Parts: sequence; C-alpha cells; structure tokens
Amino acid sequence: MRQLLRSALLALAPSLALVGAAGAQQRPLVWGDTLPATLDPHAVFDVPSQFVLLNAYDGLYRYQGNPPKLVPWLAESHTASPDGLTWEFTLREGAKFHDGSAITAEDVVWSFRRLLAMNRAPAAAFTPVLKAEGVTATGPRTVRFTLSKPYAPFLSAIPLVAVVNPRLVTPNIKEGDWGNAWLAANDAGSGAYRIDPATYQARVSLDMDRFPGHFLGWGHVPKPIEQVRARPVMETSTRVLALLRGEIDATDSYLPTDQVERVEKNPKTRVAKDESMRVFMIRMNNKKPPFDSKDARLCFAHAFNYQGFNEVILKGLVVRNGGPNPNNLWGNPTDLKPYAYDLKLAKEHCDKARAAGAPLGREVEIHVQTELDQTVQAAQMYQADLKKVGVNLKIVPNTWAGITGATGQAQTTPDMWVHWVSTYFVDPENWIGQMYDSQFHGTWKASAWYGNPRVDDLLRAARTSLDQAERQKLYAEATAIVVADSPDIWVYNTLNLRGLARRVQGYQFSPVGSGGEIRLMWLEN
Amino acid sequence: MLRYLLRRLALSLPALLGLVLLTFVLSRVVPGDPAAALAGDAATPAQIAEIRAQYGLDRPLAEQALIHLKQVVQGDFGRSIFSGRPVAEEILQRLPATLELTFAALLLATLIGIPLGLIAAMNHNGLIDHLVRLMSVGGLAIASFWLAIMLQLVFSMELDILPLRGRLDVALGSPPRLTGFLMLDTLLAGRLDMFLSACRHLVLPAVTLALPGIATIARFTRSGVLETLQKDFVLYARAAGYGRVRLAAIYVLRNAVTVTVTQIGLLFGALISGAVAVEAVFDWPGLGTYAVQAILAADYKALLAVTLVVGVVYAVVNVLVDLAQALIDPRIAGAGR
Repeated sequence: MRQLLRSALLALAPSLALVGAAGAQQRPLVWGDTLPATLDPHAVFDVPSQFVLLNAYDGLYRYQGNPPKLVPWLAESHTASPDGLTWEFTLREGAKFHDGSAITAEDVVWSFRRLLAMNRAPAAAFTPVLKAEGVTATGPRTVRFTLSKPYAPFLSAIPLVAVVNPRLVTPNIKEGDWGNAWLAANDAGSGAYRIDPATYQARVSLDMDRFPGHFLGWGHVPKPIEQVRARPVMETSTRVLALLRGEIDATDSYLPTDQVERVEKNPKTRVAKDESMRVFMIRMNNKKPPFDSKDARLCFAHAFNYQGFNEVILKGLVVRNGGPNPNNLWGNPTDLKPYAYDLKLAKEHCDKARAAGAPLGREVEIHVQTELDQTVQAAQMYQADLKKVGVNLKIVPNTWAGITGATGQAQTTPDMWVHWVSTYFVDPENWIGQMYDSQFHGTWKASAWYGNPRVDDLLRAARTSLDQAERQKLYAEATAIVVADSPDIWVYNTLNLRGLARRVQGYQFSPVGSGGEIRLMWLEN
Repeated sequence: MLRYLLRRLALSLPALLGLVLLTFVLSRVVPGDPAAALAGDAATPAQIAEIRAQYGLDRPLAEQALIHLKQVVQGDFGRSIFSGRPVAEEILQRLPATLELTFAALLLATLIGIPLGLIAAMNHNGLIDHLVRLMSVGGLAIASFWLAIMLQLVFSMELDILPLRGRLDVALGSPPRLTGFLMLDTLLAGRLDMFLSACRHLVLPAVTLALPGIATIARFTRSGVLETLQKDFVLYARAAGYGRVRLAAIYVLRNAVTVTVTQIGLLFGALISGAVAVEAVFDWPGLGTYAVQAILAADYKALLAVTLVVGVVYAVVNVLVDLAQALIDPRIAGAGR
C-alpha cells in the first residue's frame, strides 16, 4: 500500500511543479460571448458566427471601425463594370492559410461555389444574382464575379464570405455535404487565430492560438494575445459575476443596463459603450386584423412609451430610432420625425379604427423571446399602456427559433413580436430593403407582411442603381413612406454594452462582429 | 436472480419504446421550425424549404416517426440539425460531465442524508430531530437556481475560496480527453493541478444539486429507522444489552434502508433531469445545458436523443435498484415468481 502511494506521488510530482508555473504565464484571454452552433463559416450566419468569421477566417473585404468602413482584406483592390454586372477582385500577394499553403484565386472561387451550393444563410445575399459558374478565376490572383442583374449591395455583402482552404476540406467531404460535418468542428482558415479542434466542444468551448503567419502581420499591437479561450456563459448573473471575479475578460454585448453601474464600479472592469447598428423593434402582422388598418397601427405606434422604456428601463443607454434604418446609417430622410408616446392620440386612432370595423376588442398576442429580458420588459410596459386605450395585449413566451419558424406564412406569423435587426452587412438593404420589399415575404425580416407597390419600386430601383446619390434619395423616399404607413414600431438603436476586464486593451468596436476581433487587442499584466 | 433481472429488463423495453414515440410526437407538435432555425438568420423561404426536404421534415409525421424509431434502434440519433454534427457524438461529449456531477451530488446526498436520518430517528422528537426535519423541508423547498446564485455570491464572490463557473481553470488548459470524466482524465494525465482545479469546480454545483437529495434521503431514512425501531427484534436486541450505536448502525439501519435505496435510485434519475438549472447557472457543460440549447434552437434531433438517454439512465437505475433491493432482502426477488 505504501509502495503504491509512493508510486502515485512520484507520478504526480511533475504536475505539482506546473501549479506554480501556470501563474507565471500570461493568462489567456477568456471571451465570455456566445459561440455559434457550428464552426463552418458557410453554414450559418448569425451574430455569434461572426466571432469565428473574424478571427479564424478572412474574406476579400472586411468592415473595420465605427461607423464601419469597408477595407480591402485578402483582396487588395476591385473593379466594377459600369453596368454593375462584372466585379473583379485582385488578391494581395503572400497571404497563407493556417497549413502554410498560399491563398489563390482558385481557392476563392471554390469557397464561393461551396457557399452557393450549400445555399445556407450566408448565401442568401448572393443567390438571387450569382450562380456558381458566375465565379471564375481569370488569373492566379484575380477573381471575376458575373452577376445576372445589377446588385448595388454586392460589395457590402462580400465580407459575409470566408475563404476556406479546399485542400483541407475536400478530403473530408461525405455524402456530398461539401465537408460541412467536418468543418463544423475543424479549422480551414487563414485568420489571425487558429482553432484547436482537439479541445473544441460545440457551444461550450473554443480554444484558439495566434497564427504568427497572418498576412497582416502583428506589428500593430505591442504584445499580441497568444491564446484565446472562448467560454460562453449561459446565465446573465453568472456572466456578470464571472467578469467581476476575473474568470472571464469579456461578456456578451447585451450587458443588462441595470448591471452597467456595477461593472463600472469594479476597479478591474469597465463597460465599452458603442453606438451600434442594431434596431430594436416591435413587429405588427399587417395582414392580420386589426393591423391591416392604418389607424390601428398608428394607435399602437402612439401607445408605446419610448422615453419611459429608453430612459428609465434602459437608463438612457440607447438612442431613440424612429425608422427602420439605424440613425447612423445613410439613406434616412433628413426630416424623419419619430412617433411620440401620446395616449390621447392613440385613443383617437383606435376609436377611428374601431368605427371602421377593426377588431380591436380581440386579444392581441405579442411574442417575446423569453431568454432576452428586454423583449419581455418592453411587452410588459406596452401591455399596461395599451390597456389604457382599451386594447388587451397577451404576452406569449417564445424563442427566436419558435418565432422565426412561424413567420413563413402570414397566418402563422404572430400578431406582434419583439426583436432586434442586427448588422449583417452595412447597407440600407439589410434593414428597409429586406424588411419592407414584398418580395421578401416569408422571411423573418419581412414578417410585418407590409406591401406597398411604390415602396417596392423604390427599393428595387435602389438595389440595382450604382449611383450612391441616387440610392440615398430612393431609400430616403422609401423610408418616409414606410414610416408614414407605420407597419412596425421602431424603438431604439442599440448602444452596444460589453463588459470588459481592464486588462483588455485595444478593443475596437464595429457593428459587424460587435467588437469581437481579437487581432486588435492585447493584454496588460 | 437471473430470471428476475431479465424480467425487469424486459419490462423496461415497452417503456422506452413509448418514450421514443411520445417525445417524437411532442417535439414535432410544439411551435418552432427546425428548418428555419437551421437555415439561419438571413435565409429565404426557398432555402428553408430546401432544408426541410433535405432532412425529411416535409414528410408525413407518421413516416418521420417510423424513420426515427428505426434509426434509434440502430443506435443512430442522426445529425444535429443545428450544428451539422452527429448527435451521438455531441451527447458523448456532454454525458460524462452530467454523470460526474450527478455521481458527486448523489454521493454527498447519501453520505450526509443517511447519517442525518439515522441520528434524527435515534433522537426522536429531540432538538436534533427537529433540526433535521426543518432542514429537510428547507432542502426540498429552496429553488436550486436561487441556491446556486447564493452559493456563488458567498463562496466565490465574498469569501473567494471557490470558482464561480465551469469545470476547470482555463489557464491550465485541458487534459487529453480519454473518458470525458474530468476527475479521471486529469489523474490519467498525471496532472494533479488540474485534478485539484476540477475538484474545486465541482464543489458548488454538486452541493447545490445534492441539497434536495440530502433532504429526501434523510427523511426516508428517518421514517424507516423509526418504523424498524418498533420491531420485535430490536426490542430483543435492546433486552440483550446491545449498545445504542451498534444497534443503530448494524441491526436497525440494514433493515430500515430498503426504502432509502429505492429513493436513492429514483433520486439519481431526478438529479440527472434536475441538473438543467444547476448546469445553466454554473456553466456546467453537461446534458442539461445541451438540452436547453437544443430547445432554444428547435433542434429536435438533439432533444429527442437527450430525452432517450435520460430515459435509458432512469430504466437502468431502476433495474439496479430492484437488484439492490433483492440483494438486501432476498424475499423481494422470490415474491414475483
């Protein structure tokens, strides 16, 4: 027995030395934001997937800074034909994948063809105008895109697409899945950080190490972060406590407003507050009575206490946004006047709607995302105010997947629901274009089921014009009409609130990716 | 005994079959479109329809149920429609974490609950008895998520002696994954630092999960002991001059513990399913958090697999409990003949 004990202690002796050694190394950056369900950058496009896209992969262009500026990335330049149908990108020299192989035009072509063939969310911006045969390599460093019709937001959407290494993915293709199952848990990128597949656990942990050979080099930071440990924290209270205790270095970017003061008071933590492009809104199903009546919609628009919600509940940490596009984006009319909270006016509109036969006596359902407190708070406040104008609002707990799954048809779309529209690409097309052009009916973004032929014409003209001044004019006119029709209730543009450890330096926010680009950061001891 | 065991196993099969079919139907009639969830934020209706066809979600429900049953019988849970990875693989990654937590909680509950129940019964209506009864009621009444947060605030934030969340300090890295049981993997890797870190991370979640178990076991042990104390053989033992401790520990406890063993078995199943809230608060990457993520994402394949795995664990534990009872009291195995 004694012998056994001695052997065990001898075996463990080296690890005892490591207990002390661990403290001497710099603690890795621990990122507490949500992870995507899959690491395949062509399979899903949501806010969490941008973390993988920005750190493990590169695209031809990338958004940087706030307001976001489109900068050349793997491409050093591009040209567009005057008719907007042909776009040619020239790749920069010397960029390499994590396995050391050079990134060629053929790799870019293969990546876009994979994206189009898989036809998942990131492909949605391209499939209406681009076919696989429309992407070709015209030289070792030049890629040509031939569109079937002009599409002004094409360049804005280019950063959605990661260039993947076909030499790693192709051997892992099974049953024609384009290597999706393999890439869901592996790395085939060229980004500033390399994924460690051995320790990856979907939605639980993602370990990444610095890629010294990244094409941009590392001279821009005094001491690059060597190791990144992404550890999503499910519960809000645990997330805040973990930040305060130093177990994580960053929360998600939805830090509850009632926690801001607490985080700021702690000497080791701070809150990064950045005006984003994420519009909080309450949708109305315009095809379902009473919302097919403009007066009913105006009644609802005047019954929401914007100031109370923004200033009291959210402690003034958001900015009132009176239309579908974020305030800080181009394409808004200069004289846009947001709806004001006015119960008297609301009642007048409701009375008019009732007189015209709108069934305002029926119970109206508002679906909230239970896991997101703000959606619940907004609905509860709204419920109390609507009662004052004789409308009975029923709050229905639901999930993102549950609601968006029901928005495929007008009759299954909830009466009302609450959500944000984040920045997928920086163009009014991302907001007003996809929300109020009737050709998008059936998608969650267009779940108001709004239809106005004039707005359709304006949005389609803006989509195909390559003249920025003309596009600005078209979007401004469309926005003015949409706001006057009041199909939805636009509440605020988000102030991005991310809790950060003070040792994290160089954090730079951009609405695309919510500041999750680790390459720009370093750690102070 | 073998016939008894086979009979118990055979009785579990229809229950599991019912579970598979019932959970399938429930998962498909609740709101939420898995195809839309899979297609992602920017998907068009055409993309959603294509995914629906690709995963067979457009077929009649009965046909889908039969395909599902056939796959389950073959041990194939399919691919998660959210992550695109085999569900079985994802569950195997998560199950050891839940089992580790559950075993630790059960061990705590048993080691504390049985002596507490015994001591309370031996001091019937005394101060200790009242305290144990009060604790039992409290243990069952306190919501586990509230207790979890309170323990975090006291032991992590105020006293700063235990970690707040997770299974291991990130600065230490991870041991090679051999079994998935972190306590075991760290020891097999010869990393005492990691083992100690894993132990420290286990304390708060295990205590939170164990508390209702301690209360249950203490209550059942107490009532079992009180009942046994009325038996003639105890009167005889007392008359024969056996000491209080010897009487309690050897004669009374063995006869009183049959009901407690059943409760421990049931408790194991309850702890696995009850781990959801505890895992969420402590970021314990087990089946509970996996199930929550599957629900939020309408990932019905993952959800069905989790339900079945928990069901199988329940069934296996029930059979083991039956066996344990038969070993403690051989009359039980004979009764069913």
